[in-house]
Amino acid sequence: METSSASSTPASRAFQVPSRATDGQKAQTLIEIENFDFYYGAKQALFDINLKLDDKRVTAFIGPSGCGKSTLLRCLNRMNDLIDGTSIKRGGIKIRGVDVNARDVDSIELRKRVGMVFQKSNPFPKSIYENVIYGLRIQGETNKAKLDAVVEKSLRGAALWDEVKDRLHESGLGLSGGQQQRLCIARTIAVSPEIILMDEPCSALDPIATAKVEELIHELKKEFTIIIVTHSMQQAARCSDKTAFFYMGKLIEYADTRTIFMNPGNPQTEAYVSGRFG
Amino acid sequence: MKRFFDSELETFRSHLMIMGETAIRQVRDALKALVDADVALADRVIAADDELDNLEMSIDDEAIRYMNLRAPVATELRLVIVGMKASHDLERVGDECTTIAKRAVRLAGEPPLKPYVDIPRMANIAIEMLREAMDCFMHGDTDKALAVVRRDSEVDAINKQLYRELSSFMIEDPKTTTRALELMFISKSIERIADHACNIAEEMVFLAKAQDIRHRDELKKS
Amino acid sequence: MSTPANPFASKPSRSRSFEKVILGVFRTATYIILICGAAVFGDILLKGVPTVANAFKTTSTFPYVTNTFLFEAPESLYVFEHEGKTMEMGDKDYRAFREAEIAKAAAAGLPPPVFKSSSYVYSAGGIWPCIVGTVLLVVGSMTIALFLGVCSAIFLNEYAKDGPIVRFIRLAILNLAGVPSIVFGLFGFGLFVIYLDWNVSLLAGWFTLAFMVLPVVITASEESLKAVPKGFREGSLALGATKWQTIRKNVLPYALPGILTSSILGIARVAGETAPIMFTAAYVVRDKLPWDVEKASDFFFQGVMALPYHIYVVSSKIPQNEYTSRVQYGTAFVFLGIVALIATASIIFRNKLRSRYQW
Repeated sequence: METSSASSTPASRAFQVPSRATDGQKAQTLIEIENFDFYYGAKQALFDINLKLDDKRVTAFIGPSGCGKSTLLRCLNRMNDLIDGTSIKRGGIKIRGVDVNARDVDSIELRKRVGMVFQKSNPFPKSIYENVIYGLRIQGETNKAKLDAVVEKSLRGAALWDEVKDRLHESGLGLSGGQQQRLCIARTIAVSPEIILMDEPCSALDPIATAKVEELIHELKKEFTIIIVTHSMQQAARCSDKTAFFYMGKLIEYADTRTIFMNPGNPQTEAYVSGRFG
Repeated sequence: MKRFFDSELETFRSHLMIMGETAIRQVRDALKALVDADVALADRVIAADDELDNLEMSIDDEAIRYMNLRAPVATELRLVIVGMKASHDLERVGDECTTIAKRAVRLAGEPPLKPYVDIPRMANIAIEMLREAMDCFMHGDTDKALAVVRRDSEVDAINKQLYRELSSFMIEDPKTTTRALELMFISKSIERIADHACNIAEEMVFLAKAQDIRHRDELKKS
Repeated sequence: MSTPANPFASKPSRSRSFEKVILGVFRTATYIILICGAAVFGDILLKGVPTVANAFKTTSTFPYVTNTFLFEAPESLYVFEHEGKTMEMGDKDYRAFREAEIAKAAAAGLPPPVFKSSSYVYSAGGIWPCIVGTVLLVVGSMTIALFLGVCSAIFLNEYAKDGPIVRFIRLAILNLAGVPSIVFGLFGFGLFVIYLDWNVSLLAGWFTLAFMVLPVVITASEESLKAVPKGFREGSLALGATKWQTIRKNVLPYALPGILTSSILGIARVAGETAPIMFTAAYVVRDKLPWDVEKASDFFFQGVMALPYHIYVVSSKIPQNEYTSRVQYGTAFVFLGIVALIATASIIFRNKLRSRYQW
C-alpha cells in the first residue's frame, strides 16, 4: 500500500483559490450621499439618506414600491430635475467628491458620465446602429470609422454583437425584449460613462433574458460602477456586491449583499428579504 | 447557457473532491502507521486532520453562500445539500483516522498481538468503498454507489469476527486486554469509516436520482 | 337517462326586447346619416361632373387637350337666337362671333344681323383663378399655422411648467376654436386689412385663416407630442442630450404623423371657409392670375379669387337659372375634388412617415 505525504496534496493549496472574485480587494468609495432629504413638492420622498457607494462594484437598491429607491437613483444623474416641483432640502450627493447639484455642475455633462438604463426598454425607433451612436451624434461626432468602432465595441460590451451584427441597420424595435434592453445598455456604454444606473432593468423580461442581463452586469462591473434598483430579491442576491434596503423613504440597512440575505441587522430588512411584506 | 456564478459550483465540487482524496489518504496513512508502527506518520495523520476540518468549513461556507445568494434548484440544490452532508461524513472519517493514529502510537511501543491481516483487509475494503463513493460523485454512476452500500456487510462481518477473536485473546490471556481493546476500537473505527462511505454513496444516489434510499433495503438491492 | 335541462336556454325578458329596440334606433340613425351624405355628394356629383366633362376641348398646342372649365377665367354667358337656333357662348367667343357675322353680312351686302342676347354673369368660362387662389390660401395659411402651432405646442408640452398660466393659455386656445369664422374674418379685416394696411390681400387671408385653424393645430400637435412615449425623452436626456436635441431628434419626428393628421382637418377647414376671407383676401372677380405681378412683393399684397367665395357669389349674388346652376355645381364638385386631393396627399405623406417611425 502506498502512502503519500501530507504536504504534496492539493488540499493545502485549495484555500489559496479565492471563492469570491471581488471580496479580495478593498473597494474605493465613488459616490457619497450625505444627509439627503428630497421632496416632491411638499411631500418628502427621501429622509436623511447617508450612503457610500463603491467604485467598480454593483450596488443593489431594494425595497417595496414607493420606498424611494428609484427616486434616489434618479437623483444620481439629476433626472429628477425634469420633474416639476422636486427639491433637495438638505444634504447632497457627491461623485468623486464633487457635489452633483452644485451650481457649476451641468446636468447634461453629468448625464454623460452617469448613464441610465430604464425599466421599460426604450430603444428609439431608429436602426440598431443609430441607437448605439445616438449619444455620440448628439455630441457632434461624425467620423464614420470612429462611430463604427464604437458601435462594435459597445454591442460587444453589451453581449449583443453576435446577435445583431448582420442587421445593424434594421430597426432596434425589431429585437426581442431582452435584446432591446441590452441595446439600451449598449447605447449607454457607447458614451463611456463611469457609472451606470439601472432602474429595474429586468422587470419586463423573461427569465432567460434576465439571466443574460445579469450576466452582462457581472461583466460590466469590471469597467463600470453599477447601481441597480430591483424588485427581485434573487436578482439583488445574484448580481450585487452590496445591498441597500429602503422603506418609506428611509435607508433601513446597507451592508454586503451576503449579510443582508444571511443575517440582516434590522427586523424590517429580514421581513422584506424573506418575503413577509413589500 | 453559462452563468457567471457557475464557477462557484465548480469550486465547490473541486473542494469536495479534494476532501474525498484527503480523507482516503488519511485512512491509508493511519493504516500504514498502525501496521508499520510508524509513530512519525501517525503524528502526521493527526496533524493533517486540520485540513479536513478546514475543508468542511469551507464547503459549508460555500454551500450556505450559494443557497443564500443563488437560490439553487433541482440538481444544483441537491449538489449543495449533498455536498454539505458528504463533507460532514468525510470530516467524521478524518476523526476516525485520528483515533486510529492515536491508538497506533500507543500500540507502537508494544509487541504485536498477532500479525495484521484482518484489519488491513477491512481497511482496504473501507478505502475502496470511499473511493468508489467519490467516483460516483464524479461520474454519477448509481449502480456503483449501490454496490458500495452492499459491501458494508463485508466490513461488518470482519468487524464481528475480529471482535470474537480479540475477545478470546482477552479471555485466554488478560495481559493482552489493553492491546486487544485498542485493536477492537480500531476495528470499530474502520467499521465506522465504511459506514460513512455508505452514507456518502447513498447521498450520491440522491444527487444523481433525487431518490432517498436510506433505511430502505429493497431499494438498495436493485 | 334524461338529458339535463339546458341552463343556458334563452329566457324572454324586458331588457332583451329593449336591446332590440335600441339596436334598431342606432342602426336607423346611422343609415339616415348615410343617406343624407349620399344625397349631398350624389347631387353635386351628378350635376357637377357634366360641367367639367363637357368642358374638354382639343387645342393645337401641347398637351392638345384642355378643360375650359378648369383652366380658364370666368366669363359672362351670352344666350341668343341665331338663324333659328339658340346659341350659348362665352363673352369672348360671342364678341368674335358677332364681329364675324356682322362682317359676313357686310360682305354679302346684307344689313347687319341683330343679336338679341341675354347675358348671365360668370356662367361661362372656368374657375382657374379660384383654384389657384384657393391653393395659395391653403398652402400659405397652413404653413403659418403649422409653424406657429407646432412651436407653441412644443413650448406648452415640453418646456412650460404646468401651472395656472399654462392652464389659462390652454383654455384660451380651446375657446379660440369655438369662435365663429365670421368673427375671425372681422378680426382679420380690422387688424390686417385696416390697421396694418395690407388691404385685401393674400397675406391678410393667410394670417386670418392661420389664426382660425391654430387651435386645432395646437391641440392636435400637443396630443401627438404627448403620444410619444416618455421613455424616448428620458432615454435621450440620460445620454446627455439637451432638451432641444431631444425634441428635434427624438420627439418631433415621431409626432409629425400625428401633427399632419390634424393639419389635414385644418386643410379642409381652411379651404372651405368663406367668411374669414370675404373681407380679407377674396375678390369677386380678378382677371389677372396671382403670378402676374409687377414686382415680387406685390404677390403678397394682392387679393385672389377663391373657390368657396366663388360658390357663394354665383349662388347668391346673381339670378338663379339653368345657366348659372351649371357653374355652381361644377365649382362645388371641383372644390370637393381639390380638398380630397390635398387630403389624400397629406394622408399618403403621413403614412409614409408613420411607417418609418413605428414603435
